[in-house]
Amino acid sequence: MVGLSLGEKNFIQGGIAQDLRSDGRKRLTYRPVSVETGVIPQANGSARVRMGATDVISSVKAELGKPSSLQPDKGKVSIYVDCSPTAAPMFEGRGGDELSTDLSVALQCCLLGGKSGAGAGIDLSSLIVVEGKMCWGLYIDCLVVSSDGNLLDALGAAIKAALSNTGIPRVLVAAGASGDEQPEVDISDEEFLQFDTSDVPVIVTLTKVGRHYIVDATSEEESQMSSAVSISVNRKGHICGLTKRGGAGLDPSIVLDMISVAKHVSEQLMNKLDSEIAAAEAVEDDS
Amino acid sequence: MGLPDASGDLSSEMEVDAFRRLFPLRFYERHLAESIRPDGRPLGRARDTTIALGAVASADGSALAKIGSTTMLAAVKMEVMTPSMESPDEGCIAIDFHMPPICSPIVRPGRPAEAAPVVSKQLSDTISSSGMINLKELSLVSGKAAWMAYLDIYCLDADGALFDAALLSAVAALFHLQIPAVSLNDDGKIVVSEEDGGKLEKEPVNKEKRKLTLRSIPFSLTCILHKNYILADPTSEEEAIMETLVTVVLDSSSQLISLYKPGGAVLAYTSAVQDCIALTRQRVWELQKILDEANSGMEVD
Amino acid sequence: MAGRRGTNPTTYSPSLKTQKTRSTIFKDDWVRPDGRGFQQCRPAFFRTSAVTAASGSAYAEFGNTKVIVSVFGPRESKKAMMYSDIGRLNCNVSYTTFATPVRAQGSDRKDFSSMLHKALEGAVILETFPKTTVDVFALVLESGGSDLPVVISCASLALADAGILMYDLVTSVSLSCLGKNLVIDPILEEESYQDGSLMITCMPSRYEVTQLTITGEWSTPKINEGMQLCLDACSKLANIMRSCLKEATTTSQE
Repeated sequence: MVGLSLGEKNFIQGGIAQDLRSDGRKRLTYRPVSVETGVIPQANGSARVRMGATDVISSVKAELGKPSSLQPDKGKVSIYVDCSPTAAPMFEGRGGDELSTDLSVALQCCLLGGKSGAGAGIDLSSLIVVEGKMCWGLYIDCLVVSSDGNLLDALGAAIKAALSNTGIPRVLVAAGASGDEQPEVDISDEEFLQFDTSDVPVIVTLTKVGRHYIVDATSEEESQMSSAVSISVNRKGHICGLTKRGGAGLDPSIVLDMISVAKHVSEQLMNKLDSEIAAAEAVEDDS
Repeated sequence: MGLPDASGDLSSEMEVDAFRRLFPLRFYERHLAESIRPDGRPLGRARDTTIALGAVASADGSALAKIGSTTMLAAVKMEVMTPSMESPDEGCIAIDFHMPPICSPIVRPGRPAEAAPVVSKQLSDTISSSGMINLKELSLVSGKAAWMAYLDIYCLDADGALFDAALLSAVAALFHLQIPAVSLNDDGKIVVSEEDGGKLEKEPVNKEKRKLTLRSIPFSLTCILHKNYILADPTSEEEAIMETLVTVVLDSSSQLISLYKPGGAVLAYTSAVQDCIALTRQRVWELQKILDEANSGMEVD
Repeated sequence: MAGRRGTNPTTYSPSLKTQKTRSTIFKDDWVRPDGRGFQQCRPAFFRTSAVTAASGSAYAEFGNTKVIVSVFGPRESKKAMMYSDIGRLNCNVSYTTFATPVRAQGSDRKDFSSMLHKALEGAVILETFPKTTVDVFALVLESGGSDLPVVISCASLALADAGILMYDLVTSVSLSCLGKNLVIDPILEEESYQDGSLMITCMPSRYEVTQLTITGEWSTPKINEGMQLCLDACSKLANIMRSCLKEATTTSQE
């Protein structure tokens, strides 16, 4: 994917070993993050996140639906990622399908928590309108516009920003529906419920190059990785999800070390994102 | 197999193997002239056959059938449907034959095998025309609810005579099928009766677990016709080399249910067809015995 | 699809959707539905060469979880594939329609396929079959919980049976977090109400983790404990798998 000469490879690897990467960053420093919210007017919430040259858009659409019979007290959330051919020529046609599936699965694993809903970024029971009958379904669609590494972290940040931008109309339920009938509802045009996004975790991907690991790798750096671990951490410092990518095996003790590093890094990222999201919301309100 | 060796034994063995690969037809014809097949069977004999009932616990009835290496797993899952207007007192049976990519090197994911829909159609035709199942037995509430039996057959290992093995496993799965005890609940839906049976407000529709009465059980045998030879129960290698197949389906009282001869280079003369039927008749007797043994083995457990 | 042409009536399963009250698992005297100890795996059964048509294959049975994996190749890559000086691994996981308690139609599990690929790619020595593809196809005959770990372990055994060079066997074990308990090798029922899950895939002799996924909320000490439990179970599983391979070679030599 990325064609690098031997010299360039050595330069990247050597730089990482000396804690001075080719763009001047340290191993655990992120590229500048910029957040823009409300970029898609038709959606209930949307955001665009840029990390260096990586550019992703996330939108949230809410629709009323029927909860699954297995979990009548919970709403539904689905995450889908699409890789635009504008990001890389290889995404054209069905070329991006595999990466899209991988990213969707990783995001679901990192953000949606366990089966019972523990550790989920979004409280699924808050999406219920009438238990067993009606609930909100959140469709989170993400688009990779430009790809320069670290897609998962950027997508995670974009989803967090889009969710805090999301307003769900208040629903008034008319009483008197029984049996199998769907209850009649009145969807308010004015009143919107805001999500509490403080529990939504951030995703930190640590990419292992040589003996060291780095955050926010560019695609050139990713081409030199032996493996990468994506860890989602919430504000309480608890791990909400973890997936590993890349072939080479890791010693279990290294995994544990990576988890503690990720926890440390996540605090900074979380604070930075929060302030960026707040700033973006302020800009949107002004305009 | 290894590399050619100086020793005489091994090199002659290599020659046989090379001969088999280079001139498969001549290799077979040499054998056939001696009235024996490369796997040591006489021409008219089928491979060893086994049936294991109840292989899948999540299904209502299931069976694993093996004919030589050809392995089939069949399972029945019972669901409830609203019967059609024309036949309010009849249930339905849906038969599907699958060849997943694990079974053969020629099947790949997303590209289904050509043979699968053909066998699927043959199976449903055979089972419906044999009159083995009385669809009225699958009725629950007239006009309101009836059983839909989903019979899915998976080929786990394809080594020739797919239809024979598929039919055997399908029949065995139906033989093993136990219709669950169900009752009608307040919403007009059919639900499985609870084991403790304490709830009286529900109206039982099917009080006890019961078996289907199978009237006549169809069994089949596929033969290859090649020149004047008739080879029973071919392997996939034999099927690839000699292409004329005849499949005869008889029921347990030796009545002919169907006979397939899908083209092929050899014309089937009356005498050849009669020979095939005679071989099948013998085979039906064998298969009936194997099925009975599998069943009595279950009851002992 | 024969026999269902034209009219295809909608059907439903009569089985009760039992709402298992989660509250029971918070009691101190909670026992697992199958009576196992929290740290006790189900008995594992493996057999190699289950499918003669394949280059290598294996069948695995853990309680009610039954899977079969076939390996084909190394064989010619698809025409559209570009030249590659290392081999390719192509994985596919599918379910039979009767594998799950509720009948499912067309059950190709893309997410499991990619997880299986990730779990195996670190262990297979791809350099040994340049330009060609090894296909690993798995079929879940019956789903009884912990399906993916069983598929992964079974696949590595099938690869070994096919004579594909690997650095080590790959074994995989998952555990569920239920309330404050960690239960290893969960069954379907336990998985359905778990708070979180942890799945480890490792190469036991090299003591390396090739794949790790965690869902749900975990504190670091709990992850530590969970990983250790799984790694221990993985090395035990590897012993079972190794003895299965040894048995297969001794019987074939006789």
